[in-house]
Amino acid sequence: MIEVDKLRKEFKKVEKDQGLLGSIKGLLRPKYEIIAAVDNVSFNVPEGEILGFIGPNGAGKSTVIKMLTGILTPTSGKCTINGRDPVADRKKYVKDIGVVFGQRTQLWWDLPLRETYGVLKEIYEVDDEAYKKKMSFLNEVLELDGFITSPVRTLSLGQRMRADIAASLLHSPKVLFLDEPTIGLDVVVKNNIRNAIQEINKTEHTTVILTTHDISDIELLCDRIVMIDKGKKVYDGSLEDMKIKYGVMREICFVPENSESFSDKSFKAGLDLSGEDLTIEKEHGKYRIRFNSDKISTKDMLSYTLANTEAKDISVGDADIEEIIRRLYKSGIK
Amino acid sequence: MKRLLKIYRMMLSQNIKALMEYRIDFIIGALSFMIDQAVGIGFIFIIFYQIPQLGGFTLDQIVFIYGFSLIPKGLDHMFTDNLWNVGYFIVQKGQFDKYLTRPISPLFHVIAEKFQIDAAGELIMGIVLVCISAGSAGVRFTWYNVLLFIVAVIFASMIYTAIKLGTAALAFRIKVSGQIIQVFYMTNEFAKYPAVIYGNVIKFIITYVVPFAFTGYYPCVYFMTGENPLFNIGGLVVISGLLTFIALIIWQTGLKAYESAGS
Repeated sequence: MIEVDKLRKEFKKVEKDQGLLGSIKGLLRPKYEIIAAVDNVSFNVPEGEILGFIGPNGAGKSTVIKMLTGILTPTSGKCTINGRDPVADRKKYVKDIGVVFGQRTQLWWDLPLRETYGVLKEIYEVDDEAYKKKMSFLNEVLELDGFITSPVRTLSLGQRMRADIAASLLHSPKVLFLDEPTIGLDVVVKNNIRNAIQEINKTEHTTVILTTHDISDIELLCDRIVMIDKGKKVYDGSLEDMKIKYGVMREICFVPENSESFSDKSFKAGLDLSGEDLTIEKEHGKYRIRFNSDKISTKDMLSYTLANTEAKDISVGDADIEEIIRRLYKSGIK
Repeated sequence: MKRLLKIYRMMLSQNIKALMEYRIDFIIGALSFMIDQAVGIGFIFIIFYQIPQLGGFTLDQIVFIYGFSLIPKGLDHMFTDNLWNVGYFIVQKGQFDKYLTRPISPLFHVIAEKFQIDAAGELIMGIVLVCISAGSAGVRFTWYNVLLFIVAVIFASMIYTAIKLGTAALAFRIKVSGQIIQVFYMTNEFAKYPAVIYGNVIKFIITYVVPFAFTGYYPCVYFMTGENPLFNIGGLVVISGLLTFIALIIWQTGLKAYESAGS
């Protein structure tokens, strides 16, 4: 459905020396540097999928989203939705998509929310019947009723985000782009928005592409993730595969029979692991040992633990996705 | 087309509703424009107390040119004011994204989004001055002239819009072009008076480069004297059309160069 083929976007950056003098020099004799914000990114998204598009700040996520939504013109390569090109066929293309930028609103600032929806209805040529049906559906999943008559500038961030998502869905787009839809929201609103996204995906088969820095968004919503770093695609697959492939850190949790009997130092001393490869945390009498499973197998670690302490209530934990992503962002995928 | 008109009407009524949200601002804005115009016209009367003629034109004729020039200026100001914001911050702050994700022309959308009621001051003042001075300025009222008057006003407004559009669209490449719009737009001050009073360089510039002389002086010369309609009105139509065409090209190629902003 969505096909992204060798997409590339270059920005021309003026190199400036420091200070005022440097700025003036840059003005008189500019030195340009070509930066590829997005470099040769390809992926496909089948209909009905929820795709998590992740990467560290400045990786080029938004640039890709902006090319997919027809805002930026690619330097080379192309992206199509149902065979349509966003630059050549913009008006038809954008009718098939809905866009929400979490950090920006597309609502009319001074007017009651309902007025914005009325104008959007005309812009997208939604007929009365469909509009009515859609509004009552959106009302239900996003709970707009409480503030639909308030001017947009008086809405809280959580209300505004819900209102923006509703605005992007009025015309029943086939693809919904969400750029950081949960940024800055409290847990209740986050939950509400996640449920809404799932509901919309389920009932309307809307394909969703979302960027986020919130790991729970990914874990709860996404069928698949694409990770990019420095403009290049570095991972494309399911979350489960990522855990298997990159999840080297495992954990063993236990409560010692006698808390005095356990000592961090002597536990560590028996193992040939250091630094990040082995960490021990204590929390309410419970110990959490994190270890690098590339260096020591889970089996060995478990038998070592059992041999060295009188543990009760022992559990072996899977790799933590947040930890994997943190490590991948920091050091890149090898 | 019908759909665009409907959207325009809706956005217009949204604009007026939004205006009512900020009543004080509206009243002060309208007042300051009235004062601005009153000072301008007062100044002309003061000058004419001292000098009975300027470049061969009588007071009534000067007032007619002055008044006429306010009408296209006011129309452009009323309907396309958002172009200033494109040059000053909409592009720079990445707010232009919104217009590109909607299934209507981004240019239409951005223009329709703002209706500048302040411009009513210029329009009313312009119409009043034209009405009181036309008779004694030598304007002949024929249906033919009335038609040409309307044509002249439309094409003269397009000159204003094209100059703003072309310079505002530079923002797509250089991020902020507000000052550039300002520089070009300010030359319209020359359009309020007969172009003959200026030196040749300025006259050439306001005729062919930033053709504001066609938004006042030249069409008025035709209406007051009936002279040279081919240049005075025909020239206006040609230059205005050409300028609009160039501005649209700058805009259209600018859209492709738009870089948005931040995340």
